[in-house]
Amino acid sequence: MKKFLFSILLLFGGVFSMQAQTITVEGNVTDENGMPLLGVNVLVKGETRGTTTDFDGNFSISGVSEENVLVLSYVGFETKEIPVEGESFLNIVLNSDSAALEEVVVIGYGTQQRKDITGAVSVVSSETIEEMKPIRLEQALQGTAAGVNVTPSSGAPGAGININIRGVASNSVNGPLVLIDGYQGDLGTLNPNDVESISILKDAQAAIYGIAGANGVVLITTKGGKKNMAPTIQYDSYVGMQETSRQLPLLNATEYALLLNESYANNGQEIPYPDVSELGEGTDFQDAVFETAPIINHNLTLSGGSERVTYSVGASHLNQEGIIGGDKSDFQRNTARFNLGIDISDEFKLQANSIYTSIDRRSINENGLGSVLFNALNMAPTFAIDQEDLDGRLGNEIINPLSQIENTFNDYNLNKFNGSFSLEYTPIEELIFTSRIGYNLSNSKGKDFSPIVDYGSGKVFNVPRSTVNQNRINDNSYTYDLFGTYDNTFDEMHHITATAGMTVIRDWGDGLFATGFDVPNNSWEFADISLTTGTNDGINNGSYKYDIRKLSFFGRLQYDYQGKYLVSGMLRRDSSTRFSTENRVGTFPSFTAGWILSEEDFLASSEVISFLKLRGSFGVLGNDEAGGAEFYRSLLDGEATYVLDGNLVNGTAMGRIANPLSGWEESEKTNIGMDLRLWDGQVEIEADIFREDRKDLLVSGIPVSGIHGGGAPGSGSPTINAGTTRNEGLEFAIKYRNYVSDDFNFNLSYNATFLKNEVTAINGVDFIPGGQFGVGQPQPSRFEPGFPMGYFYGYKTDGIFQNQAEVDAHPSQKELGADAAPGDLRYVDLDGDGVITPDDRTNIGDPIPDATMGININVNYKNFDFTAYTYASLGNDMVRNYERSQPNVNRHAYVMDRWRGEGTSTTVPRLTSGATSNRVLSEFYVEDASYARIQNIQLGYTLPETLVSSVGIQSLRFYAAVNNLYTFTDYKGFDPAASTGEPIGGGIDFGFYPVPRIYMAGLNLKF
Amino acid sequence: MKIYSLKIKSVLLLLAVITFTGCSEDYLDKTEEYTIDSENYFNSEDDYYNALIGVYDILQSTYVNVLLGEIASDNTLSGGESATDVIGFQQVDEMSHTPINDNLDDVWDWNFAGVQRANYILEFQDKTEFEGKQTIIAETRFLRAYFTFELMKWFGPIPIKGDERFVLGDEQTIPRASREEVYTQIESDLQFAIDNLDYTAPETGRATKGAAMALKGKVHLYQEEFDDAANVLTTLIDNGPYALSDFETLFEQEGENNEESVFEVQYTGEEGAGFECLQCSEGNVAVGFQGIRNYSGPLFESGFSFNVPTQEAYDMFADDDIRRDLSILDIEAWAAETGASYGEGYKHTGYFNRKYLPRKNDNMGDANLTQPNNYRAIRYADVLLMAAEALNRGNINDQLAQDYLNEVRERAGLREVENSGDALTEIIFQERRKELVGEGHRFFDLVRTGRAAANIDGFTAGKNEVFPIPLEEIEFSQGNWEQNPGY
Repeated sequence: MKKFLFSILLLFGGVFSMQAQTITVEGNVTDENGMPLLGVNVLVKGETRGTTTDFDGNFSISGVSEENVLVLSYVGFETKEIPVEGESFLNIVLNSDSAALEEVVVIGYGTQQRKDITGAVSVVSSETIEEMKPIRLEQALQGTAAGVNVTPSSGAPGAGININIRGVASNSVNGPLVLIDGYQGDLGTLNPNDVESISILKDAQAAIYGIAGANGVVLITTKGGKKNMAPTIQYDSYVGMQETSRQLPLLNATEYALLLNESYANNGQEIPYPDVSELGEGTDFQDAVFETAPIINHNLTLSGGSERVTYSVGASHLNQEGIIGGDKSDFQRNTARFNLGIDISDEFKLQANSIYTSIDRRSINENGLGSVLFNALNMAPTFAIDQEDLDGRLGNEIINPLSQIENTFNDYNLNKFNGSFSLEYTPIEELIFTSRIGYNLSNSKGKDFSPIVDYGSGKVFNVPRSTVNQNRINDNSYTYDLFGTYDNTFDEMHHITATAGMTVIRDWGDGLFATGFDVPNNSWEFADISLTTGTNDGINNGSYKYDIRKLSFFGRLQYDYQGKYLVSGMLRRDSSTRFSTENRVGTFPSFTAGWILSEEDFLASSEVISFLKLRGSFGVLGNDEAGGAEFYRSLLDGEATYVLDGNLVNGTAMGRIANPLSGWEESEKTNIGMDLRLWDGQVEIEADIFREDRKDLLVSGIPVSGIHGGGAPGSGSPTINAGTTRNEGLEFAIKYRNYVSDDFNFNLSYNATFLKNEVTAINGVDFIPGGQFGVGQPQPSRFEPGFPMGYFYGYKTDGIFQNQAEVDAHPSQKELGADAAPGDLRYVDLDGDGVITPDDRTNIGDPIPDATMGININVNYKNFDFTAYTYASLGNDMVRNYERSQPNVNRHAYVMDRWRGEGTSTTVPRLTSGATSNRVLSEFYVEDASYARIQNIQLGYTLPETLVSSVGIQSLRFYAAVNNLYTFTDYKGFDPAASTGEPIGGGIDFGFYPVPRIYMAGLNLKF
Repeated sequence: MKIYSLKIKSVLLLLAVITFTGCSEDYLDKTEEYTIDSENYFNSEDDYYNALIGVYDILQSTYVNVLLGEIASDNTLSGGESATDVIGFQQVDEMSHTPINDNLDDVWDWNFAGVQRANYILEFQDKTEFEGKQTIIAETRFLRAYFTFELMKWFGPIPIKGDERFVLGDEQTIPRASREEVYTQIESDLQFAIDNLDYTAPETGRATKGAAMALKGKVHLYQEEFDDAANVLTTLIDNGPYALSDFETLFEQEGENNEESVFEVQYTGEEGAGFECLQCSEGNVAVGFQGIRNYSGPLFESGFSFNVPTQEAYDMFADDDIRRDLSILDIEAWAAETGASYGEGYKHTGYFNRKYLPRKNDNMGDANLTQPNNYRAIRYADVLLMAAEALNRGNINDQLAQDYLNEVRERAGLREVENSGDALTEIIFQERRKELVGEGHRFFDLVRTGRAAANIDGFTAGKNEVFPIPLEEIEFSQGNWEQNPGY
């Protein structure tokens, strides 16, 4: 292989050495489907001569002797060797490169052949992305890459998606570092169709990225053209209809009234509905808020290349409406991009790419007390569809969800340019210098209009005076890299790659906010500050700015002996302005090693094992991300507003408490893994065990003593290196492929991750609380040593009191709010002190899955193709928090199984409008949210080439697909997969906007 | 070979250029972020004034002292929606509170925030000179005394550090001061304010000489230093510009900052607020919290029905006491009279704290959190009653005590009293309760006069006189601070 690369280099270097030979061989190269392949390298084995195929896949090579062997290679296909044997015309079929071992993987400041990789790297290819049809790129990582956990924060169009690689280690920032063609970027705004491949560095190999690599690194390579490729236009499009993946069973009006009567009667009150006969089904508010919404996507790409230039340009359009609120929660994304590679000379190569993204999004109130779905679940079915709760029967918070949607007006626009310029200089063959600058320039504007509205007395969503809030946010960053790579082999067995360089990162930006009062006509059309007529005493505007800089130097040495024994070492010195000058610098080493056993004599001839590698890595990575800008000093951005002479006056106050001692957080990562290929690659197995200890964890918002004034408006808790967490686990991936015939082939893959998360230490406090449950109740989630991060802290239950004797025999529960009665939840007296107190609370679940897995199937039969992607998450718990604790609200239908007398229920407590202790956070509210989801199934048909080639089309494929077809779960809420992603306070369900089920039909056209 | 070495040279040159341009660590020091931070501030008069606004700001968060202080007393019950609605309020009402109580934690955190902001100014008080600085320093010290005294009332002796901010780690090294040390600092702060302030403030809402004198009198009274208390309070009565006003309008908008107001915490409904930061509200959060649940009718706005007066509190007023129906709203009678409707919350008594009910106004949302009612922290009536109490209990001058007391009674439409000695003491106590019901004073008056256990259900003598130091604070101090007895 190395020789081969060497030959290519020589070829491109323009060195030809012609020899007089006897025959000329011609031939035609196609893929498995008979499509001619353009630009295939055809070389004479052992020599430096060669050519490439033309547009029709034809080649001609002269001066070849009968003994010669031709080597045909092409990106994405298996290399083939064909003996000439006197044939003058060769028909050659190249098989697509399922082996993937020669695949070049981006590993950070360079690439490496897959077989030589000694770290834990997952790769997701553009094929996977094409098959899954993700709307956002993150979705393509769910179930396709072991160790990567993807959780949508909501099913709303354009909503954020959280990615954790091998668990959550920090209580603040857990997202991986994302590098798009080498520069810091953002997954959320990319068009999935623009991506060629995704590499995920999961272990100490990410150490080369040092800063922020502690949470893992996602490397995105965008699509480029290929050399000597005729211009190809690809058009992809789909249209789809979306509907909710789930509706909850709720009580209808009659059931509601009957149960309310029971609840009032149980409290000795007069029953509210003496006559239920006329009520019927009532209004189904949930059904009314959900609608069927369209989605449409177009993507156009032109790519190609000549001897010295490659190019790819593209544009895309996505329009998705929400399944709640329609165009009140929609998402539009338009992108345009180019990618250009130019070989200026043999020594200099230039690469430039740029992506422009424009996003337009509207959103409705979701996942909170007062969200649309929360209201839809709690609004009583006895109300008419357009009726307001004017008398406040449902308390101060519940309002008609349809009116709420109607009164929601907002708009968010983002315009973003990002891209990079990279210059490679190859002074001598073994040495390459790369100078690269990547940039992100983004501007967004937001507008939010609150019309005057009155939902009835005391409703907290009443707006007595109309306002419009507007903001402009400008975020920029650049990443400048300069590094050199020296690659050489000595004595044909000592292969060395040495890399050294530096990186400069700057993130800067600012934001501006303002509010206008009294919008003319109380109308969205007039909702702009310039048109508002009102004045107000307060400060109606605000702003911020930030400028964070980082400077790093790094070196890496990779060595392998005969391609069998591989070792590498890295050292990185990082500085970040998040820390004071004294604590700014951190130095982080890491090591990897690998042993390719299949290259050893004892395995070389094995029929079964075609490849076997053991690998291990250990390293320390630094992290300075914990939310917020500078930790070591306190800005004067606290709130200082008072009323003097009857007017609001503003002064100055300290902001967040400073911690001058804050310094680098360190992540120690250990990984041991194995890559195995059996039967010529029919079966591929990858297995890893890993451990990460996160030390000196930068705990943002760590509670500190109140004497420091953190409780003041605009102040806050400091960020302190105050904790230690551990994630350990196992990853396993297996892939089976069978190329039965040219007409039929399939592959099956399965991957699984088992993870254990634990907080191992915290300094200064016993725990950090987070999250919200109910109203005015203690925070339910905790970050506490000995427990998983963000576990739920509440009471264990032991069934339901069936009679007064049981109540009397049990420790008093009065301290939780009321004396127990038959039909109430029975809490466990954990500390055995004879009374139920808050001290009896314990770990009653956590939102972190014990295991996640994906099963993916791909079948090709003649012109048909079928794929299915599934994903499962096991052992994650969710807190049911979409039930308002108010006597008159509607309820989930599970209350039909409530306790109504001795022996009627052991799980669901009685209904009463009186005071009970049933509302405190207990196991009753914690559900197992394990699930398995069929994320995508797709059936495609490619028209026979004979049919389309006559009209100049290379290929045309039609398909039909369903996203989120079905979710298997016992969870009662809308979406067991959704989470806010908060490390402390995640997994609490206020009525998540469920992911939509999308039925889509589309086409892929290439010509 | 020559070409080869030329290449090497050019590489070296390139590297050299890079080293000199790119790698300089200066890059890290030239950020364009804010150059003014907390440590290089105080360079002009404006800086001091603006920082003083920051200290005043914290006064608005003392709404919780008033609301929770009243709930703790025998005047009111907790109320709210249900038994678990703001559990910290419920527990204090039942005197079942423990060191784990978010609302007591708020009292600790917010009042200490006031102390810290005051000390921020005092730490830099010598940095920049300008005319009129003494006024700003005097107001700062008044406010430090105000917050420190509140903390003292709630938690007993607290850690103090003098004219310096607390820094991380102090909680483990600076012990709780003695009672005397805390009071000494408070009194010296107030004396400085008395010496450097005028009776009229440069702007309405700022502290005055009179406010400092009244607070100093109160601080002496709490220590039963009757001579000192009587001295400062009678001086204030004789020299100050204060008078009793019309009780009818005293707690209405038009009664704000009137002649009876000695010190008043200023609020407005001009700015919105949310539950995630109650202390950030520019409105009086306590007012919305004690509003009538789901109220619909004239004059008032609705609220969350906390802090509901007891039947006994209503009944303590004589029928002809004009303060009764202006202090406590009988909602059934009101509904019958005006046709208003309302909802019943937890521990519904049929009464609401009328002095601080939300009045109809166009305050910003969340309207329950931005009610503009100013809190009359120290009223002239309070000053008269304190003076009367000091004169009587200190056996100084019962005649003058009667005069002061009768001044308050007269306004209430009650006849004069002529008692003296212990009988007069008792009447002063009763009058104090009636005059100041709903204003957050009762619990602390009961405690300082040793009558709490006899009057408050569930009150344990020797324990409930002060509230527990929040558990997490005890933990932050790692054994440096001792918990209050009994908790």
